[in-house]
Amino acid sequence: MKWRKNSSGSFYDANESSVVYFDPHSGDTHLLSDFAAYVVQQFGEQSRTTEQLLNQILPTVEQGDIPHLTDALPSVLEDLVTLDILKRE
Amino acid sequence: MQQLANLSDSELNQRLAHEGLGLQVGPYIYKIKTNLPLVGSGISTLYKNFNLAQPEAFIDYNVAILSKGLLQRLRGQSDFLFDSTNPFDSIPTGQAYAFLEWGMNWCVSLHTNEYLKLHAAAVARGDHAIIMPGVPGAGKSTLCAALGLSGWRILSDEHAMIPPNTTEVVPLCRPVSLKNESIDVIKRFSSNAIFGPVSRETHKGVVAHMKADLHPQSHEMKTLQARTMVFPRYAKDETQRLSPRRRTESFILAAYHSFNYSLLCEAGFEAMKTLIENVTCYDLVYHDLDWAVNAVDSLSDPEPNP
Repeated sequence: MKWRKNSSGSFYDANESSVVYFDPHSGDTHLLSDFAAYVVQQFGEQSRTTEQLLNQILPTVEQGDIPHLTDALPSVLEDLVTLDILKRE
Repeated sequence: MQQLANLSDSELNQRLAHEGLGLQVGPYIYKIKTNLPLVGSGISTLYKNFNLAQPEAFIDYNVAILSKGLLQRLRGQSDFLFDSTNPFDSIPTGQAYAFLEWGMNWCVSLHTNEYLKLHAAAVARGDHAIIMPGVPGAGKSTLCAALGLSGWRILSDEHAMIPPNTTEVVPLCRPVSLKNESIDVIKRFSSNAIFGPVSRETHKGVVAHMKADLHPQSHEMKTLQARTMVFPRYAKDETQRLSPRRRTESFILAAYHSFNYSLLCEAGFEAMKTLIENVTCYDLVYHDLDWAVNAVDSLSDPEPNP
């Protein structure tokens, strides 16, 4: 399965554990976890598979966080679809 | 500039009943008409020190509150008119003053989108403005009134108007709307509080408006820099506290309290981002008004705690 971002939105990151994301596709503003916001930031114009995203993200995180993030990514992607920020392809 | 206080009672009544009374209210000119003595009395009390509009000035909001015709008078009802149209149902004449004030709020809430507008009180000390967003009943108007009676300048009880991509607050000083127990709370807080007509059995209960232009600079038009955003919440049974809150969560809550954030779309996001990243945000939970005023006073220090 592939995932694609619905639009290119804007972020407000105050270096807290949450990030504000404005989605011009829906006009909604979301309070995302910093990890969910990081996932959204990994998308360009192209769609990505979960594996491609993991390969992109894991080199940037600390070794100890890898199992947790690997487990968390599928549900984060599902949540982002529910919020209409991502869509499945 | 001539103030309303310079008009004799007969001149004031003449204007209200016929050509309309032009008042400078912040950046806007309201022209107000009424044939109701109660409303005229309220305007005379609460807008006494407001500047009259120049005769040739552009009228932003043309409003009236009138009881028209014998039948409506017999029914004890009145209408709020905006540009001679009636946007609301008729209201009991005894509540007309409160409806005039709400109608004047409605004009700004609905028609003004050159600013990011927050449903918030705003006060200032020196050049330091504090924005206080809050849902109805949160205690923002009560706190705003108490601060106004404690030397703070009231910039607005209802609308914090922020020019996009700035941290400035546009002063829009108008009477403070107080409801139910808050009226007596403020009367006990200070004998200097001046109230207009009391409107009973409104959809908000008992409502009275307090004269807000108590500060020598109340009618200055210059914008002020917001440095702080406080989210007040009256809570009878909770421990009082002034505590920092996260900017990102404050962003979402401030957007929730905005009249036009969603309407402005990306411009609204950028405007809110500029504001939030330049103010320090706090939660203020209170039940003692003196304590709350002291807490806000502490924020006007040159270097407030982050």
